[in-house]
Amino acid sequence: MENILEVQGIHTYIGQYHILQGVNVQVPKGSITVLLGRNGAGKTTTLKSIIGLTPPREGRVIYDGNEVQAMRSFDIANMGIGFVPEHRAIFRDLTVEENLKIAERGRGDYLRKKEFIFNLFPDLQRLITLPGTSLSGGQQQMLAIARALVADNKLLLIDEPSEGLAPVIIENMMSAIRELSKESTIVLVEQNFLVASKLAEYYIILEEGRSVQSGKMKDLARDKAAIHHFLGAA
Amino acid sequence: MNMLIRKNLVLIITLVVIAFMLGVAAQGMDRQDFVITLLRGLAVGSITFLVASGFSLIFGLLDVLNLAHGTLFMIGAYIGWTVIVRPDTIMDLLTPLALILSGFALGDLYPHLSSRIRLGLRMKRFLPWALGLVSLLVLGFILPRYPIAIWNVENYSQSPVTFSFMASQGTRLPVQPATFTEISPAVALIGLLLASMFGAFGLSLFGKDAQRTVRISWKSFIGFAALLVVALVGFAYNDSLTNALTALNSNWLFLIAVIVAMASGAGLGGLMEATLIRPLYSRPIYQLMLTLGLSAIGIEMVRAVWGRPEFVTPKPDFFNGTGGACPATNFADWWANHCSTILLWEGRVRVYNEIFIPIVGLVVLISIWVLLQRTRLGMIIRAGVQDREMVEALGINVRRVFTMVFALGVGLAALGGVLAAPSTGLSNFMGESLFLNALIALAIGGLTNYPGAALGSVLVGLIQQFIIKYGQIGIPVPFTEIVFKPSPPLVPASTVLLMVIILLILPNGLLGKKE
Repeated sequence: MENILEVQGIHTYIGQYHILQGVNVQVPKGSITVLLGRNGAGKTTTLKSIIGLTPPREGRVIYDGNEVQAMRSFDIANMGIGFVPEHRAIFRDLTVEENLKIAERGRGDYLRKKEFIFNLFPDLQRLITLPGTSLSGGQQQMLAIARALVADNKLLLIDEPSEGLAPVIIENMMSAIRELSKESTIVLVEQNFLVASKLAEYYIILEEGRSVQSGKMKDLARDKAAIHHFLGAA
Repeated sequence: MNMLIRKNLVLIITLVVIAFMLGVAAQGMDRQDFVITLLRGLAVGSITFLVASGFSLIFGLLDVLNLAHGTLFMIGAYIGWTVIVRPDTIMDLLTPLALILSGFALGDLYPHLSSRIRLGLRMKRFLPWALGLVSLLVLGFILPRYPIAIWNVENYSQSPVTFSFMASQGTRLPVQPATFTEISPAVALIGLLLASMFGAFGLSLFGKDAQRTVRISWKSFIGFAALLVVALVGFAYNDSLTNALTALNSNWLFLIAVIVAMASGAGLGGLMEATLIRPLYSRPIYQLMLTLGLSAIGIEMVRAVWGRPEFVTPKPDFFNGTGGACPATNFADWWANHCSTILLWEGRVRVYNEIFIPIVGLVVLISIWVLLQRTRLGMIIRAGVQDREMVEALGINVRRVFTMVFALGVGLAALGGVLAAPSTGLSNFMGESLFLNALIALAIGGLTNYPGAALGSVLVGLIQQFIIKYGQIGIPVPFTEIVFKPSPPLVPASTVLLMVIILLILPNGLLGKKE
C-alpha cells in the first residue's frame, strides 16, 4: 500500500535537548496509525516535527511525495494536513464559529463543510456563538477536531483525543474519528491503550526519542510482553 | 443581564468612579474651565491612545516591547511637517526612495535565482557579504550626490524654524531647486536601482529561505513595476508635481501629510520587523536593547536633520479661520468661517486641538475595533495573541501577519505624531514623554487589552489636564483655609500614582486578563 506520510530518521532538538533521536514512521494512505509510548517518549514532538512546528535537524519527512522537513509550518499545513494539538489549543477569545472560520484556506470552506461538521458533532451547532472559553473539555476536543476538518485535509494529526474526557465522550470521539478515517488518513497519539487498540490499524512505539517497534495493531494486541515492556499497560 | 454586570464589573466601577470624580471637579471649578479641561484631557488621551494602541497590538501579538515606539511617533510628526512645509523635499526624495525599495519588491525572485546558480561553500559564505558591500558602496557614492532640496539647520534664515514660521504666516520662503551637478541623472537612477537589487539579493542569501522554492508569476513583478513607475514619474515631473503640491490648499496638503506620515510609519515599521526584529524573536532581551538603541538613533537622526529648536506645523485652514463671527458660538457660524476657536458653554475651545483630535481618536478606536472583531485579519490577530503556533499550524503565514501588525502599530504612532504636531508642536522630546504616558496608560488599562488601552489613555489624559488646571485655580482643602495648588512636577506624578493604586488592586490593569 502507498504511504501518504513517511518520516525517515528524524532528529529534533528543542532548545539544547535532543528530543527525537531517530524516529521512523510510515503511514499507509487511508489508515489510522497510532503513536504509542510512555510519557516523554517523543510522540507529541514527532507530530510537531511533521507539521514543522519543531522542525527536525536531520532526516526527512515525506508527505504525499514531497520532502517537507525544510518547509515552514503554514506551507506544510497548506498541503493538506490538519493538526489537533495536545490540550486542544482552542482560541479562547474567538467564538466557536470563529474558531472554525479561522481554519479556512479558501473562501467558503466553512460554509461548505458546516453540514458535515455539525453532523459529526451536533453539540457544536448550538454553541456556535459562545466564546471558546465557555466550552467543556469534551466540547473543546470536538471543536479542535472540527477545526481541522474545515479545510480539505488529506492527513489529520490528532494528539491525545481522549485526554481528560469522560468515558461516554470518549466513545463519541472514537466513532467520530472512525467516521473521519473514511475520508482522510489519521495519525493519532494516544496514551489510552484500550482506545488506541480499538481505533488503530497500525502502530508505532516510541521509546526515549526513537521508534522501536511498529506493525499491525492486531499483532501488538496479542503481544502482551511488548505492551507491558514499552507501555507499562497491563 | 446579571451576568453582563458581573463580567464587566471593573469597567462599570471605573466608569462610575470617573463620573463621580468629574462631577466633583465640575463643582469645584467654573463651567468653562471644566469643559476646556475635559476636552483637553480627551485630546491628550486620544494622542496617547494612538501610541498606546499600536504598542499594545505589537506587544500582544509579537511579544515585542517596541521601546522605539515614542521615537516613531516623533518621526511621524516630523515627516508630516516636511510634507506640509517643504513639499519640494518630499518630491525630491520620492524617486531615490522608490528606487531603493524596488529591488526588495522582487523578493520572490531571489531564492529562485540562488537555486539556479551553483556555488562552492566558500563562495556561498562570501557572496552575500560581497553583494551587500557593493550595494552599500554604490549607495554611499550616489546618495550624497543626489540632488535633494533641503533646509539648513545651521543657517537660521534657512532653518526649519524659519520655514515653519513663514508657513504659519501663510507664505512660503522661496527655495532653490536642487539639480544634478556631480553625477549624471542616468548614472544616479541606474546605480540606485542596481544597488537596491544587489542589496536585496545579498540579504535574501543570508536567510534560511535561500533554498525555498517559490513559484514565480507575473504577480511577483507588480510591486517592482509600480515602484519603478513611481520613481520615473517622480523624476520626470518633479517640478510640476512640486508646484502642484505647493499650490495645493492647506487642507488637502494636511490630508496628504497624514497619509504620507502614516505610510512612512507603516513602511518603517514593516522594514524594522522584517530586518531587525525577526532574527531576535527568541531573544527578548536583545529586542529590548535593539529597540532602545533604535530609539536613540531615531532621536539623534531627527536632531541632525531637523535640528534641536522646536517649531509648529501650521494648522490647516479648515481649523484656522479668524475674524468674521469668530470665535463661533454655534456650528453654522463655525462652518461658515472655519474659526480656530468655538465657544462651548462659555469656554473658548480650540477646534483643532480639543475637538478634531478627540474625534479622530474615536474614529481610529472604532476602525481598529472593527478590524479586530469583523475581519479575517483581526480574527488571526486575536487568535495569534493567544497561540501563534496553532495559527501557523492551520496554514496561516503568521510571519506576514506579524509584519503587518508591526506596520499597523507604527503607522498608528506616526498618525498620532502628525496629528499632534499642529497642537503641541515638534520637539526632540515629544516622543519620550508621550511614550511614557502611553506605557502608564497601558499598565492602567491592561497591557494587551485593546479597550483597556483606550480607557487607560483617556484616564491618563484627563488626570494630567485636571491636575494642570488645578495647578492654576487650586483645590480648597476641606475644613481649612488652605488652598492646595498642585505644582507642575505633580502632573506626571499623578498618573504614576494612579497606576500604582490600580496595579495594587488589579495587577493586570483595569481590563487586563489574568495570564
